[in-house]
Amino acid sequence: MSQVKQHPPASPSALNRRAALKLLGSGLALTLSSCGRPHEEIVPYVEMPEGLVPGVPMKFATTLALAGYGRGALAISVDGRPIKIEGNPRHPASLGATDVFAEAEIMSLYDPDRAKAPRTKDDVVTWDAFAQALFAQMQQEKARHGAGLRIVTGRITSPTLLRQINALLTQYPEARWYSYEPISDDAAFDGSMLAYGRRLAALPRLADAAVVLSLDADPLGAGPRQIADARAFSQRRTRQAQPFLRLYTVEPEWTLTGANSDHRLALHPDLIRNFALAVTAQMQGENAPDLPDPVAHFAKICADDLKANKSKALVLVGRRQPPELHALGHWLNAQLNAPVDFIAPADGNPLGDAQALQTLSRDLDDGRVETLAIVGANPVYDTPADLGLAHKIGKVAFSVHLGLHENETADQCSWRLPMSHTLESWSDLRAFDGTASIVQPLILPLYDSRQAHDLLGLMAGTIAPSAYDLVRQTWQAQRSGGDFDTWWKQTLHDGVVANSAAARVATGAPKRPDVKPAQAARGLSLLLGADPSVWDGRFANNAWLQECPHPFTKEVWGHGIYLSPGDARRLNIADRETIEVWHDSASLRAPARVREGQADGVIAVELGYGRTRAGAIGNGIGVNAYPLRTTASPWLISDVSLRGTGEIRNVPLLQHNFDLEGDGKDLYPVLTLAELAQGKQPPDHDYENRPTLYAKVNYDSYAWAMVIDTSLCIGCNACVVACQAENNVPVIGPEEVAMGRDMHWLRVDRYVPDPERPPGFQPVPCMHCEQAPCEPVCPVAASVHDGEGLNAQVYNRCIGTRFCQSNCPYKVRRFNWFGYADGQEYADLGADSVRASHNPDVTVRGRGVMEKCTYCIQRINRARHHAEIVDQPIPDGAVVTACQAACPTRAITFGNRNSKASAITALRREPHHYALLGHLGTRPRTTYLARLRNPNPAMQEKAQA
Amino acid sequence: MSLQAEPPEIERWTEPPGRSYLAISELVAAPLLERRQWRWRAWWIAFGIASGLTLIMAICMSWLFATGVGIFGNNTTIVWGLPIADYVWWIGIGNAGTLISSMLLLMRQRWRASINRFAEAMTLFAATIAGLFPIMHLGRPEYFYWLLPYPNTMVVWPQWRSALIWDFWAISSYILFSILFWYVGLIPDLATLRDRAKTAFPRSFYGALALGWRGSARHWYFYEHYHLTMACLAVPLVVSLHSVVGMDFAASLMPGWQESIFPPYFVVGAMYSGFAMVVLLTALVRWGFNLQPLITAEHFNVMAKIMLAASIIMGLSYLTEWFAAWYHGERAERWLVGFEFTGGYAPVYWCMLLFNCIVPQLFWFVRIRCSIVAVVVIAILINVGMWLERIEIVWNTLSHDFLPSMWRIFIPTFWDWALLFSSLGFFGFLYLLLARIFPMVSMHETRRLIYEESHQ
Repeated sequence: MSQVKQHPPASPSALNRRAALKLLGSGLALTLSSCGRPHEEIVPYVEMPEGLVPGVPMKFATTLALAGYGRGALAISVDGRPIKIEGNPRHPASLGATDVFAEAEIMSLYDPDRAKAPRTKDDVVTWDAFAQALFAQMQQEKARHGAGLRIVTGRITSPTLLRQINALLTQYPEARWYSYEPISDDAAFDGSMLAYGRRLAALPRLADAAVVLSLDADPLGAGPRQIADARAFSQRRTRQAQPFLRLYTVEPEWTLTGANSDHRLALHPDLIRNFALAVTAQMQGENAPDLPDPVAHFAKICADDLKANKSKALVLVGRRQPPELHALGHWLNAQLNAPVDFIAPADGNPLGDAQALQTLSRDLDDGRVETLAIVGANPVYDTPADLGLAHKIGKVAFSVHLGLHENETADQCSWRLPMSHTLESWSDLRAFDGTASIVQPLILPLYDSRQAHDLLGLMAGTIAPSAYDLVRQTWQAQRSGGDFDTWWKQTLHDGVVANSAAARVATGAPKRPDVKPAQAARGLSLLLGADPSVWDGRFANNAWLQECPHPFTKEVWGHGIYLSPGDARRLNIADRETIEVWHDSASLRAPARVREGQADGVIAVELGYGRTRAGAIGNGIGVNAYPLRTTASPWLISDVSLRGTGEIRNVPLLQHNFDLEGDGKDLYPVLTLAELAQGKQPPDHDYENRPTLYAKVNYDSYAWAMVIDTSLCIGCNACVVACQAENNVPVIGPEEVAMGRDMHWLRVDRYVPDPERPPGFQPVPCMHCEQAPCEPVCPVAASVHDGEGLNAQVYNRCIGTRFCQSNCPYKVRRFNWFGYADGQEYADLGADSVRASHNPDVTVRGRGVMEKCTYCIQRINRARHHAEIVDQPIPDGAVVTACQAACPTRAITFGNRNSKASAITALRREPHHYALLGHLGTRPRTTYLARLRNPNPAMQEKAQA
Repeated sequence: MSLQAEPPEIERWTEPPGRSYLAISELVAAPLLERRQWRWRAWWIAFGIASGLTLIMAICMSWLFATGVGIFGNNTTIVWGLPIADYVWWIGIGNAGTLISSMLLLMRQRWRASINRFAEAMTLFAATIAGLFPIMHLGRPEYFYWLLPYPNTMVVWPQWRSALIWDFWAISSYILFSILFWYVGLIPDLATLRDRAKTAFPRSFYGALALGWRGSARHWYFYEHYHLTMACLAVPLVVSLHSVVGMDFAASLMPGWQESIFPPYFVVGAMYSGFAMVVLLTALVRWGFNLQPLITAEHFNVMAKIMLAASIIMGLSYLTEWFAAWYHGERAERWLVGFEFTGGYAPVYWCMLLFNCIVPQLFWFVRIRCSIVAVVVIAILINVGMWLERIEIVWNTLSHDFLPSMWRIFIPTFWDWALLFSSLGFFGFLYLLLARIFPMVSMHETRRLIYEESHQ
């Protein structure tokens, strides 16, 4: 190095041949010497840590939070990098499956927009600087017993965090803790207060029900209970189920529950209480409120069916309905002796979300807040606008925001602290039923971040133990006797604290609430709801979730305002026309989406969009509906005004056609139980016995096949995101989607086989046809068949003629029009941190190459390695594809159809088994079970009359 | 045929100033050898425009190779787009030259003598440009040579069952053949130019290219045999070429493509658009080089008749397609026909039917056939219509196949259009260069035409 410096400075004029050669030589020397060892002593990796084999994935049990409730997970880690989330079968809120949010946590972890270092308004600072400032501030608070201290969080179920907060509140008796969730369950808790005089969480047991009436409830929709409810529902919806559950849904807009029901009625939200009263009246033989004829008829049939199935009938009321209706639901369930349990709520929030926020707002107004700590929440963005928190928080002198991102709230705070991701943290969480589990980190924090336990420790002012110690202390205190370390190890391994579910509460008889019939608001009402992709907005910067389609509209990267066709005609609004909706001073501008099955008089929009400080992915996507929300009426805004602008915009959609007319119904056969009993089969049931000119290929080892039960598919998209995570499927961004491109290897088609009935979902991965049309057309043999029947794509060989996709009747192949994962990534997705999320067992595809579903061939091969080590054939169930693992309802089965005993062989013998487009002679390996329905014959009689 | 007396053949195909051997040589050779006297203004203007468009094409291709094939409007469903339609269209045009040279030669249609040379040149350039499009349409164009069975360390060969491989060979052999056929036909004329050249450079340039042609009986003997043999080879080649292009679509599973009528239907379509292009070029060459004595309205008349016949066959083909879709009974096939008439591209489809089947019916009228302006206008419409047909074949089937969930519409981008129109400019560029170097009408064959017609 020193020699280089001795060279005379080479000015261009002095550069002769000699000088040039000298420079060349020294340049070479410099390059060589730069490959040396670092100066510090380094330790070679001679002995491997126990259990770690480089390149072999390991699974660790941990817990992920959604709306504060834990869902157990097994995170897959390769060489120290978590790359995939799977469900934890032992955990009651996971049951081995995942949801879209759990799958997407990997993307959140590696999100390049995460907050990386503590900051004040102007500067990057150190944690020490913050700790000093906080210490000084807390000294002042101590003097006034914490009278100026306010802590704001989301829902907290973590026993350790609750313990820390309570300790802090004891230390500072005048301090206050407020917790809230934007997707609030206030109405449900208030309903239990009305009915039972206590704050209780109801746990309906769908698996024990035969008839369910859902009043705008969405047990199958996104949320902390989705997996558990969907699994219970699916157990009652297979051909063998006795009894086969019958689901009635009354709702103002489409939910997944509505789509999976046997009978659905679209009703204005104000009128749902009248419907409930009509059901009550019919059951009790009282006078029913006045309802339009079809609605009254629906109510009568529901009531009769519920009554006929006492102790197996269940009424569910959604969070958007008022407390009185929840109380009425409790009362009805009590009359029906319904399968419902009650527990004390797992969160320690006695106030309820609305009251917590109102109190906070008053405290801020009165200038009582001197020290404000906001942990993991984003109140500037996601609280009702009438509270005006957005302006008030900025006025607090000492405010701290601890969050994954520097979001809208951080922007208003004097200290912006980076929070560690769940996969980098030690903690504990309770599930919706109270079951506790430990949050275990899989990786050291990627950035200079801390977690909520650390911040509360700093606030407590003592030399705080680490989060790890805190969590251990919590659980050690609860255990008397026994070896704690053994227990701890076992608990970490299992991912669940044994026997920690909340005790069932004996409730006694509920009070019957006095519910008065309502009149539907005359003007338009605006209905808000949680978003299936970004929930309340917290996932807005997650690229996988932004590109995860809305189940009904298949819209990605944003949302629309949903209108019924009747309202659209009345207001002269076209589909996709940009409309303006306003109420008081707040307004929304978004494309109108006209859809069948939406109740007249109500328009709907999802919360969670229109973020301004989400990051490169989420900023400016969709519109923010929170400003229209009020504390008094968080879900339904009456008398909104609406105006069309005449401007029609292209909306990024992953599916453009939904109708199946005439013969098209064969693509999505739907059978009623009665038809199935009569021996009716789907049209392409007997597809394998069709005449052919080709010799039959004999697959003599394994013959991999997949069966997808469309009866069980609830349309939740967990498989779509799971596939994306497992197979390094790139995100392409809204512009490319608007071009009609998409990269998901697995798509969930939504079809409307009958306009009178709810739509159905059909997951479509590659069919792995035995006579694959894609193979003979490839000029370079990049699309080939393997001996086990997999249709394989050789990326290295592909030159991108795209003849294979042209000739694919299922259109399951995906083309890299640009280098979506290879130098031309969308937004900041080319960052190094995103690359760390890639599954090393799956090639990252370059530009100009065709790709598609491989049946998770890497998982097949891993199972093969294990089997070969013990010299046994791969056992049934040893290969679990990513989509199969994710599915909450176990709708996807994968296995070897050559094995007589395998689950897949049994499913392929089902009477409602069929192949999509089987008549083309492609002999697909992916096949389906037709959708089964259980309609009430009484309802059909009416329809025919 | 009418009973009234036909004019003598020589009066049909030539005008008096062009009825001597010397006159023919002078008419054709003058622009090449006496450049000073010749006014090239129109040429320079045309060349300027064509060069500009060629530059645009170079920009398109650079941007394409730098950015990726995503610059086109293709999407997940409609993975084939404008470049494929452009390819089929250009290769169709590339068919006509050889058809005129060989098929008409074998059928002893002597009038072909005055137009076959520039029709062959058209073939050559159109086929070359056509060959570029599939490469530009590849995801990884740098590996196009993997279609060749070249020896490699991995012992991987192309996949012979793929129609694209057949296509690759069909185009390659056709281009090679066209070059040979065109060049050999040019040799006697190059010798004429060599002999008429007054300065040294043209003399040596044409002399070298004439390969020592002296016009001896022995030369002519070999030439005639060789030319006739090539013509006999050309006919099956030209039919196979477009049949194979048809099989790119027909050897598939898709509704609207999987039809046994495709190979002959594509051949006729190619002849149709090719003749339309020849008509256009004939009019331009005739005007540009003052060749009215050698190219008469009668030439347009007979070509119009051929186009009329082709348009009827095209109409029949469309009818057959619709019938087959109904008769086939497959849901997707029937859906597709409905989509063609009413779907997102319906205006395009109606235009195509109008241009390809309805408008050419005007050729039933002699006055239209003998009006050069009318024939040229209709020929342009036919060329547009045939391009629309090709894009419809690609779009309709891919937009509306078996699963409604994947139905989509193709919206072309700027680059799609830029490449199409700039390829026309590139064609013009090559053609104009050629016109400055080589004789646009075959002198020796025209002389023979005059000889034979005046000695009957």
